[in-house]
Amino acid sequence: MNSKKALFSAGAVIGLIAVALVWFGNPQNMGFCIACFIRDIAGAVGVHRAEAVQYIRPEIIGLVLGALLMALAGKEFQPRGGSAPMTRFILGVAVMIAALVFLGCPLRMVLRIAGGDLNAVVGLVGFIAGIAVGVVFLKRGYSLKRTYQMPTLDGLWLSAVQIALLVLLVAAPAFIFFSESGPGSMHAPLLLALAAGLIVGGLAQKTRLCMVGGIRDVILFKDWTLLMGFLGILVVALIGNIALHYFKVGFIGQPIAHVDGVWNFLSMTAVGLGSVMLGGCPLRQLILSGEGNADSAVTVVGYFVGAAIAHNFGLASAATAVAEDGTLSGGPSAAGKVATVIILVVLVIIAVANSKRQETVKEG
Amino acid sequence: MEAEYIATFYTHYDAIVFSRQLKAAGVESQLMPVPRALSSSCGTCARFRCAKADIARFSLTGTEQLVRVTADGYEMIRDNRHS
Repeated sequence: MNSKKALFSAGAVIGLIAVALVWFGNPQNMGFCIACFIRDIAGAVGVHRAEAVQYIRPEIIGLVLGALLMALAGKEFQPRGGSAPMTRFILGVAVMIAALVFLGCPLRMVLRIAGGDLNAVVGLVGFIAGIAVGVVFLKRGYSLKRTYQMPTLDGLWLSAVQIALLVLLVAAPAFIFFSESGPGSMHAPLLLALAAGLIVGGLAQKTRLCMVGGIRDVILFKDWTLLMGFLGILVVALIGNIALHYFKVGFIGQPIAHVDGVWNFLSMTAVGLGSVMLGGCPLRQLILSGEGNADSAVTVVGYFVGAAIAHNFGLASAATAVAEDGTLSGGPSAAGKVATVIILVVLVIIAVANSKRQETVKEG
Repeated sequence: MEAEYIATFYTHYDAIVFSRQLKAAGVESQLMPVPRALSSSCGTCARFRCAKADIARFSLTGTEQLVRVTADGYEMIRDNRHS
């Protein structure tokens, strides 16, 4: 099988699993959402107290451990790190806050589009714009410098944390918070969600599937291979949503989404730009962490802290709700809007500060 | 005799610098995504054709791997992944 077919097939399986997870209990258009699920875990361990979004999501545990197992099986586990870890942490914080202003990571953006959510199409346009800006910086010499070989333990920490989280999920001690209502209370059965994560983690490691990398490679190299994974998820999740009657086209009344186009666009611009600067989307960072990349693990810790900041400081958006008289409530908060602008400015400063002065080189 | 080579890099910037170096030496190269068979990373590689003796002329700073493209895959010339 050539690599484009492999990517499309992997995407198709992931799209199918995502819709199945909704069928088995996950919130709609949220079979997978790396940002939302890390945010839920942050809530479960009490670093934020948003009661509706607290649950240790087995999908995240499975993704990291699935990638670890696949990397070990393929002799590709490589403990590496040392590429501007603190900058990556800040970028992780920034990407997570922006994703929670949009209400989803790039993977959920695709799943939202597959559910007919046109707000996510606006987000996609912003996401592509952010990636395009990131590519300009790459061509101008942006780099966080190389990685180095690390002790094996350094490459295993995030996987070890996942095992600890799994123990906490199963044991459910009193100090772990579990939502009793809202999105955090909606979840597929533990073993099913864990298995889904393991399969998708393994597939994503094998194929290098990345929401950001696909669009970046098209712009940078005119190479469509990675984008095939993105398309596979979209096509199969769309078919699945239609078959299960989840599909509903429109802006209003979409599950866990808001209708403010400007901030859907700008927040996903920040997610796209920040993710190019990190070298991959949130899903990809989880997979790289499983492979032993300590820089990606630090980025994931940045996501975790970013989620706590987003909810503790009121930066995360609220889903649009429609009252009986038709009035709309929810959407991005004023603080979330300010945070998005600050994030965009900070990202550009980081990009400029880490770019070498040189002539732009034409690729391809 | 000329052969086809692929160099992979730690960063996209290293790939750009290498490509400019080749161009200055009169060797055309194409920057592209790293083939999956070479790495699980999704970085940038440079594919180019030159004589084996010419390889010694180039600075390989920033290269992760240098391979020769063969009929049935790749022959490792330089492997810097464990540094």
